[in-house]
Amino acid sequence: MTEKVNLTWNGKAIQAEKGSNLLKAALDNGIEVAHYCYHAGLSVAGVCRMCMVEQDGVPRPFPSCNATCGEGMVVRNDTPKIKSAVETTLQFHLLNHPLDCPVCDQAGECGLQDYYMKHGVYDSQMIDKKVHKEKVQDIGKNVMLDAERCILCSRCTRFTEEVTKTNELGILNRGDHAEITVNEQLKNDYAQNLVDICPVGALTSKDFRFKQRVWFLEEVQTTCIGCETGCAVKVSENKNGAFRVKPIYDHDVNGHWMCDDGRNIYKHVSSPTRLASATENINGLFVPADELAIQATLKGKKAKYILSTGLTVGEYANFFKAIKGSKAEVALYTLPNLGVEFDGLLKRGDKNPNLRGAKAAFEAAGFDHTQAALDKMLGSIASSDAVFVVVPEILYNEDHFNTLIKKVEKAGTRIALTPGETLGTLRSFNYLLPVPSFLEKNGEILNYQGAARTLRAGLSYGETSKDVSYYGKWVNV
Amino acid sequence: MNETFEFNARNMATYNEYLTRYDDVESALLPVLHLAQEQNGWLPEHVINYISGLMNIPAIKIKEVISFYDMFYDVPVARNVVHVCTNITCSMFGGREIYQGLLKHFDTGYLTPTRDGRISLQKMECLGACEIAPCMRVNNDFVGNLDLTSAIQKLEELP
Amino acid sequence: MKDVANYKDYALLSYHHIPGVHNLEIFERAGGYEMMKACFLKDPEAIKEEVKNSGLRGRGGAGFPTGVKWGFFSKDRNAKKYLLCNADESEPGTFKDRYLMEKNPHILIEGMIISAWALGTQKGYIYIRGEFYQQAVILERALKEAYAKGYLGKNIMGKGFDFDLYVHRGAGAYICGEETGMISSLEGKKGQPKLKPPFPAIKGYRGLPTMVNNVESLAAVPWIMRMGAAAYKQWGTEKSPGTKLFSISGDVNKPGVIEVPLSTTLKEIIEIHCGGMRNGNALKAVIPGGSSAPVFNAEDSYSVKMDYEDVAAKGSMLGSGAIIVLDETRNMGDVLKWTLEFYHHESCGQCTPCREGTGWLESVFKRRDTGKSQKSDIALLDKTAASMRGQTICALADAAAMPTQGMIKVFREELEQYVTTTGKK
Repeated sequence: MTEKVNLTWNGKAIQAEKGSNLLKAALDNGIEVAHYCYHAGLSVAGVCRMCMVEQDGVPRPFPSCNATCGEGMVVRNDTPKIKSAVETTLQFHLLNHPLDCPVCDQAGECGLQDYYMKHGVYDSQMIDKKVHKEKVQDIGKNVMLDAERCILCSRCTRFTEEVTKTNELGILNRGDHAEITVNEQLKNDYAQNLVDICPVGALTSKDFRFKQRVWFLEEVQTTCIGCETGCAVKVSENKNGAFRVKPIYDHDVNGHWMCDDGRNIYKHVSSPTRLASATENINGLFVPADELAIQATLKGKKAKYILSTGLTVGEYANFFKAIKGSKAEVALYTLPNLGVEFDGLLKRGDKNPNLRGAKAAFEAAGFDHTQAALDKMLGSIASSDAVFVVVPEILYNEDHFNTLIKKVEKAGTRIALTPGETLGTLRSFNYLLPVPSFLEKNGEILNYQGAARTLRAGLSYGETSKDVSYYGKWVNV
Repeated sequence: MNETFEFNARNMATYNEYLTRYDDVESALLPVLHLAQEQNGWLPEHVINYISGLMNIPAIKIKEVISFYDMFYDVPVARNVVHVCTNITCSMFGGREIYQGLLKHFDTGYLTPTRDGRISLQKMECLGACEIAPCMRVNNDFVGNLDLTSAIQKLEELP
Repeated sequence: MKDVANYKDYALLSYHHIPGVHNLEIFERAGGYEMMKACFLKDPEAIKEEVKNSGLRGRGGAGFPTGVKWGFFSKDRNAKKYLLCNADESEPGTFKDRYLMEKNPHILIEGMIISAWALGTQKGYIYIRGEFYQQAVILERALKEAYAKGYLGKNIMGKGFDFDLYVHRGAGAYICGEETGMISSLEGKKGQPKLKPPFPAIKGYRGLPTMVNNVESLAAVPWIMRMGAAAYKQWGTEKSPGTKLFSISGDVNKPGVIEVPLSTTLKEIIEIHCGGMRNGNALKAVIPGGSSAPVFNAEDSYSVKMDYEDVAAKGSMLGSGAIIVLDETRNMGDVLKWTLEFYHHESCGQCTPCREGTGWLESVFKRRDTGKSQKSDIALLDKTAASMRGQTICALADAAAMPTQGMIKVFREELEQYVTTTGKK
């Protein structure tokens, strides 16, 4: 559909959409171009002056972020002229920047550090007093601002103006007294993106602050299970657990961003209160139990299953395959909507990560996934029943879930399969069984669009099963 | 502080007239800030919030504008604001000494109102009246060919 | 040679001697608004052609030919477009527009009406710097008179042409004199220049085509139309036609605004029009085009012709025509210090090389205040200034770098001596 043009960047032939951003074309084609203010998800500011290029037939260098691709363009940013310009511009960036890398959370993923290694001038001629600005400011929403580290790229102010349209941030004053300032406090639900887009250590996450050095972390690319949007995310983790969630660009689903709620989806995974192994409730005391022994106990009881909407397509399939031919009853617990249906950006009120996958699996297996079916099952629970409840991985509304738990109490044996935190209300269950969290399983979920979104098992979790047939093994007891 | 601000009737009429001059509300911001400052002397938070509500412009955008321009004040200023030029031509003829001398004479600092609330002195770049260097602006009027004595005399006459 | 600064003799200031010419009635009695009326009988394209043929170069400082700039403008008369008069005049040393407007506001208004008719703009603003309060009052009053006469507003002169014109006051920021900074400011924002392309003629104020012209350029339009391009070009040179206002300040006996043909020698300007050097002191240097222009030594000052090409050939620029004359008693270190403080104060803060560079230039040059200075600071200053050039959205960084480098080129030894002697607080 869109017309492609051929251009040459540093002698390398590349193709790009006609009229598309010239800098982006280079970056998309693996050409390294230093830049701070350009961000594909924001308007062009053209102020950091790092992405300067020379073009054949154009007399003056210009910033590639403010140019568009045209057929036959010959562009270079590796000429002596540009290299020396970038070198001095980087020097200007560093002129008033504090030397606090050792205590800066951005260290290791800092634009200044990265380019300094490449373009740095190592004999500093700066002996003059630096301009001092406010250093540690809590600007709300778990974001910390260090105005001295800021290089005034204006990504953050453009974000609050253009993306969230909440306009909390601005740049006050002129010249080298210019300073990022917050009007009252941050109030948008996407504030952690500010931390992501800040190319330096000016905006850092209070949540992540001082917890880990980034070079000790690995990333796994997966999908956010915080709501039905299914944003593409990456989770940073190491052997000590998961430490943060960041969005991955996905043109069709979340673009460049994710909401703040999604930033918390990892927290239960390495929570100390998370269930580590199968447990039996002996007069209120939960003691480790053998899964096989539990299975033996349940033999002969009439099994009823209340599934959550957080299983993968594969897990549902395996489950229904396993119970095929049995007399087991199955219903679906759907999380209640929270907040507005859609906030206009990414957040959706429907918090069920794989509602569409669940419905499809229920229908394919001939089961009723409606609330009515769940109510009917709850109404007919008898003391002879063994009721399995798959606890939703993230519960925004515990009260709503507790109502369900109350109704399940009539059953003779109550088994909770929980991928998340051990809730207080699970005390009424006879058995608690750990199941994999979203970071411990491979599979797909279907988001609000019905699009398949991939979940990937994390790198370092060995304690719980990654077997997608896990839910099925409790069948036929 | 629970101070409130709103345009008086005359300025409200002026405000409405300003809006007719432009094809959008935002463009009227500079004139509106001049007007508000005329009425209130300076532009504190509650005035900013009033204008923000009136014009539906985010408060931070108004703060940005106020901080950007030398003639909008986010600190209290005296009832007479005096701009003393210290740019090239005026400095050649003692503009800086006049500014320093005035600060000393009135025992005050940059923009700080004198104790009697009469005068705020502001060091300014070229005021565009170099033919009468050294010059200053007393409220809205240029006064030139100064020396420290005549500058003090001029300012002492202020109400 | 004429011995006085020449009201009446040329064009722009030729009404300035008439008492009360700021009143419309008196202005009209002297022949004002005649050209406006005559132009409404002309084809707009013909007016544009005449201005183009006159070779008029933008009087704000850049010297870009006005007619060529007009040629970039949308020809669709129905499309919404703006005419913006740059009356922000804040290049240090410049006060010609103030002088022009305060005495004769109607010549600017007449020029703007003719330009609006030629360009097909429906709305115009005179963006005047905040410091020029009384001048804004004078303009407002003149606009009221013009409205009352039906020269502004709806269906002007029965031509079915609407043009509204307003005064818009700035609030003290040098950068608003840059045309896209001015547009940002008019939009109610910080006066930060915008990336080009797009150029204002295509996408300017509120994203619509906007023509920005300097006061003096617009005020020249009625005269060009009155005398015709050919006659206008009799003044000046092939590349610098017409007359120009110069603001002269500093060590001369009669500082002020004069109008002379372009290419008048600086020597004539100083010695004849400005009554010679103050106290009979010897000339040391001249800043020929506002504080952004590299300085001339005495020799160049006395040999230069004040037109775009000769000033450029001698390594400086005509700029806004602000001439600052410095005599033998002046220390060039002081002058550079004041200059650097100015650019540091006025950098808008967007582009890194300018935001950081202007501050650093000042810091380096003022190391003498903290006893950390050395002779090599001048070389560092030169290098730093050089690296700021051509790197930013607008020309402010260049405007700070050029006079710095110029000063170093001409007065290096004096500056080296300056920085290595302890500065007084």
